[in-house]
Amino acid sequence: MANYFNTLPLREQLAELGKCRFMHLDEFTEGVDALKGKKIVVIGCGAQGLNQGLNLRDSGLDVSYTLRAEAIEQQRQSWKNATSNGFTVGTYEELLPTADVVLNLTPDKQHTSVVNTIMPLMKHGACLSYSHGFNIVEEGMQIRDDITVIMVAPKCPGSEVRAEYVRGFGVPTLIAVHEDNDPNGEGLALAKAYAVGTGGHKAGVLMSSFIAEVKSDLMGEQTILCGMLQTGSLLCFDKMIEEGIDAGYASKLIQYGWETTTEALKYGGVTNMMDRLSNPAKIRAFDLAEQMKDIMRPLYWKHQDDIMTGTFSSGMMDDWANDDAKLLGWRADTAETAFEKTPAGDVEISEQEYFDNGILMVAMVKAGVELAFETMTAAGIIADSAYYESLHETPLIANTIARKKLYEMNATISDTAEYGCYLYNHACVPLLGEFIKGISTDVIGKGLDLSDTGVDNARLIEVNAAIRSHPVEAIGGVLRGYMADMKQII
Amino acid sequence: MHVIRLDAVSVDFDGRFQLSDINWVIEPGQHWLVTGTNGSGKSALVAALAGMGERMSGTWSGVPERVALVSYEQQAELIEAELRKDDADILDVISEGTPVGEIIDAGCQDRDLANELVDTLGLRPMIDRAFRKLSTGETRKVMLVRALTSQPDLLVLDEPFDGLDGDSLAWLQDHLRVLATTVPMVIVLNRFDEIPEFITHVAYVDDGHLAHRVERSDEASMADLYQLLHLKTSDLEVPQADPADRLPALNPSDPLVRITDATIRYDENTVFEHLDWTIETNQHWQLSGPNGSGKTGLLSLITGDHPQCYVNDIFVFGFQRGTGESIWQIKQYIGYVSTALQWEYRVGTGLRNVIISGFFDSIGLYSKSTDMQKAIADEWLALLGMSERADEPFSGLSFGDRRLVLIARAMVKHPPLLILDEPCLGLDDMNRQLVLALIERICASNETAVLYVNHRPQDAIRGIDNHLTLSGESAS
Repeated sequence: MANYFNTLPLREQLAELGKCRFMHLDEFTEGVDALKGKKIVVIGCGAQGLNQGLNLRDSGLDVSYTLRAEAIEQQRQSWKNATSNGFTVGTYEELLPTADVVLNLTPDKQHTSVVNTIMPLMKHGACLSYSHGFNIVEEGMQIRDDITVIMVAPKCPGSEVRAEYVRGFGVPTLIAVHEDNDPNGEGLALAKAYAVGTGGHKAGVLMSSFIAEVKSDLMGEQTILCGMLQTGSLLCFDKMIEEGIDAGYASKLIQYGWETTTEALKYGGVTNMMDRLSNPAKIRAFDLAEQMKDIMRPLYWKHQDDIMTGTFSSGMMDDWANDDAKLLGWRADTAETAFEKTPAGDVEISEQEYFDNGILMVAMVKAGVELAFETMTAAGIIADSAYYESLHETPLIANTIARKKLYEMNATISDTAEYGCYLYNHACVPLLGEFIKGISTDVIGKGLDLSDTGVDNARLIEVNAAIRSHPVEAIGGVLRGYMADMKQII
Repeated sequence: MHVIRLDAVSVDFDGRFQLSDINWVIEPGQHWLVTGTNGSGKSALVAALAGMGERMSGTWSGVPERVALVSYEQQAELIEAELRKDDADILDVISEGTPVGEIIDAGCQDRDLANELVDTLGLRPMIDRAFRKLSTGETRKVMLVRALTSQPDLLVLDEPFDGLDGDSLAWLQDHLRVLATTVPMVIVLNRFDEIPEFITHVAYVDDGHLAHRVERSDEASMADLYQLLHLKTSDLEVPQADPADRLPALNPSDPLVRITDATIRYDENTVFEHLDWTIETNQHWQLSGPNGSGKTGLLSLITGDHPQCYVNDIFVFGFQRGTGESIWQIKQYIGYVSTALQWEYRVGTGLRNVIISGFFDSIGLYSKSTDMQKAIADEWLALLGMSERADEPFSGLSFGDRRLVLIARAMVKHPPLLILDEPCLGLDDMNRQLVLALIERICASNETAVLYVNHRPQDAIRGIDNHLTLSGESAS
């Protein structure tokens, strides 16, 4: 199979990368009608598979699960998940020939084998849905011409997908239709109905393309979302220990600091996160971020280039073929880091203190978000996509670190994201080595000595203008406005 | 003054009313306000302090000899005594009865004060008139003069401010404030906005019992007490449903719920099996059973929150479950309250919005609400005595107040079925009474079938006459 993206001419590549549109609630008035009475069969019953299935069934749709025969015979966890929730479970041969819509919710690395197995069993004119476009775009999987191929990707872990639905809401969801596989022109209607069935339409749906989803998703998760937070956690912790800060304090400042500072990001973008700092601290954070951006820019470019050319995915697929040797080795290394092994201390840290004593962390988030956004848009990804895959998702990933450090983050994200995260981390830690040597506890661990909070007016105006005029702030203001409209009251 | 101590005291009033099991300690320096609904026994309680009624049991100590009482009952008694004196029928002379001056003089210990009071309260012109010819307000003033001039060791005033004109009221309040430095007082009032500054404690009487004793400085308990009194005494109606919000009509010949041969099972553990249950329109049910017997599981088969509702034979609100209906089509017919819901309702929104979210069956509000829905929510807030707090964050409320708001949320759309899963769980005594008072109002004024999970006999609700008990032995 050839990389699908690389087979397209440049203008089509750019056209696909440029697709991302926020859909309005009135585009979903048909509800789940397009899926009513159709037989939906879910492949895989992990967190996404189970929780999406529960939502679809509660929306009045006919949902059952198909598992490999061994999983059924051995009554594995996926079998238990499905049966204990009252779903019909059957083998591929039993369920797929009558399925109208097949939801492939297995991990990326199983896609090729799963899809090759199920395709001959699927009936003429059925629909195959993905939640990630890797298999189509990077592996070049060819789907039978009569089959409609769509993507519906809730942008949250499976447990959230269920919890928000039960509350009467949903999670932001990305949908796409694979234009090469839309024989009856019903792809969009099916994807919209699926998004309604999981509750996503209430929280906001982005209409994108397989290509834009894959290329922006890979870039975001490798760099700012997971890679930068992992690198930042390790560097900041080691620095604080070296400078004699109490290990428990350092561990807690980092574990919860990402979540606390990026909460400000969620509400008001980089501007608001920076505004949470005192004026002198803001100017320091700004300067640190500028320095780091200059140092890390070539790395961000390399990640984006490798994603665009397919170098990244072919490297990762080699590791799949090698029994995940690299991934598992890196995972084990991460578990052995000093940050990971030091529990958060029993010390009180106020919400504001996470900003005041974590100036470097704020600078890292700013640098990572802006670089990822700049690099993605320079590569032809539309600003809307670039915003969602950088700034918007950073708080979600930061929450996982607050729960159980890097282990939880890497366990929650996909193997694809985890592999990319380690790649970034191994390059970025040495890259920032010299820079970190020049850092002291005034920007990580203790905060500035602020007996005098005075700043130069002209400098403050300059810094504020630079923060506010960044393009990620412009698109962020518009998109947060849409989201606020949908979620107007809470 | 000594400590006044009543231990397990019962007092009978001519067989018409009984105070029972009264435990009350009044320390020197305390001034008590006694409150409660009409007929609760608050007047009887203070009258008993003044020696009225027949003490049946319990021990008393420290009640002083000279207790001055002003109350309608005692006022009526005095007038009756005056009427009995009027034995004109026998003597064939016209008796005017005792003049006001004489009534005041009897028992008077402070003549200067009596003169001042007669002038201040405007009684001078009627000083020679017969007591029984006075108006009710004037009689009340005479009673006050008698009590205040008797130099009592304990002053007991039952609704002393009732019917007084502005000037007299101001003078009396002023006078009581001064008197409070030397004489302990027990005052019955039904309005909290008139509580004199010097009151230190509040007692709440319910059904002949002294139900609550609250220190005035305890603001949270005072607020609860105020709310309880408000719910018990206000004549607010349960707000109407939104006329624009029409549920699809149910077939009147169908039951609301019909569960046939139901089972809930987790792995090898069967919670219950072979369970049949039918709930007809307007039937009230109490559901009970030990912990783990599956009460909440059974309820969530009805609400659709239990995934095994799809593998059981369940008919709810015209839908056979698992035939293409959505969970929101089921939930629109149900109002639901439980402790679990309260835990899950962690949303930083205001009280009004929490109540409005009941129209949408959502936790948090994600839809635009109409003016009518807002107006109805405000009526509910008024019923709860929380009008001033409409925009306060729900998360900032006390546990008990949150429960009340969630009951209003469940009822706001007037659902055909109201499910209350142990609504009193985790509530203190006063909040339990608040919740029960609210539920009773709902049961009485509505066409909602109530399904009530409860273990405690004292939390029973009048009008619930169907019972289902789960045995907890994997069968029912």
